[in-house]
Amino acid sequence: MSSRELSDGRRTEVGPYRSGQPAQLADVLERVLDKGIVIAGDIQVNLLDIELLTIRLRLLIASADKAREMGIDWWEHDGFLSGGRRGSLEQRLRKLEEKAGLPVDEERSGE
Amino acid sequence: MTASDLSTVVETGTGVYVYGVVVADDAAAAVAAVGVAVDPAHGVASVREGEIAALVSEVSLEEFGEASLRGRLEDPAWLEAKVRAHEDVLERALVCTAIVPFRFGTIFRREDDVRRFLVDRGSEVAQVLERVRGKVEIGVKAFVDRELLERRLTETSPEVHELEDQRRTATGGREYLLRRRLERALGEEVERFRDECARASHVRLAAAADDARVSELQPSELSGRAEEMLLNGAYLVHAGDDGLEAAVAELGVRYRDLGVSYDLTGPWPAYNFVPRELGET
Repeated sequence: MSSRELSDGRRTEVGPYRSGQPAQLADVLERVLDKGIVIAGDIQVNLLDIELLTIRLRLLIASADKAREMGIDWWEHDGFLSGGRRGSLEQRLRKLEEKAGLPVDEERSGE
Repeated sequence: MTASDLSTVVETGTGVYVYGVVVADDAAAAVAAVGVAVDPAHGVASVREGEIAALVSEVSLEEFGEASLRGRLEDPAWLEAKVRAHEDVLERALVCTAIVPFRFGTIFRREDDVRRFLVDRGSEVAQVLERVRGKVEIGVKAFVDRELLERRLTETSPEVHELEDQRRTATGGREYLLRRRLERALGEEVERFRDECARASHVRLAAAADDARVSELQPSELSGRAEEMLLNGAYLVHAGDDGLEAAVAELGVRYRDLGVSYDLTGPWPAYNFVPRELGET
């Protein structure tokens, strides 16, 4: 483990928990897309895009096949998504998961 | 060409992608430490203004221009690569300096625009930077092995135990009803334990940190773990302080027999401890 002196005199250690493996994608996504300060650059997709994107990405990772089956734009026309972007993301995510059939249940759909 | 066509015109040339802001005196070391930028054709540099400096790299507007970017965001493979590159730059820089991480996709037209932003909003950014200086974010996720927990609770909960005893000697419809009651009682016990354990864990971890936040739980498909997640917390700690690790170890021992385990991630830039927008606290 290497360390360096910061300008304020503290020393900081290189990732003690990461033993060389990349972080879980979900952990990176929830930080880089959902957290961090929002600065209005000159070229920028708006916040709503990013937020919806995060939901969708989670679903894609959770069940890429399911999402494909449902068509790539199924979520765009979803009514509750367009209302109140500050609403409970968790709640909407749950609804989306239900809608996408997650977690995959045992009963088979009509053949 | 009508005005509405303009938004779909693919731009050419380059823009300036901003990863975050660091302490100016550490900027050279941070730039030397980083690897590949979000657009690998260009290297990471810093734009210094007074006491702070932005970590930036040029990006092709064919790829990162507003019209193209919107489309690329739809491509999970592209997005994963870029999001990881963004994180990698900040993570490597974090070894050398304090960082105010910016949200993915913050792009200015020219370096002069970044400089103007630093002049206009620099004092607010510097305040945020001061708050996270010398500190890092550590992620702690707690998982529970539900099967093991249910077994333990069946042994320890008087109500569940009693129902299980009755069920074992019952037959037919009565056995069925008792089994349903047992399932419900056990489910309630599991929920109660999950809540208690999550709260107690977070309180203990927060006591070992400067600041603490709870994020949404990740379902198994995302966490990649068979166990259920019961806490997804972020903790702001002084770099090099091992108090949080000690707290995790303590909790691990406390709840091990109930099927709970803890995962540490990081150190991360303090994503969870910067305001969503400047001016917010």
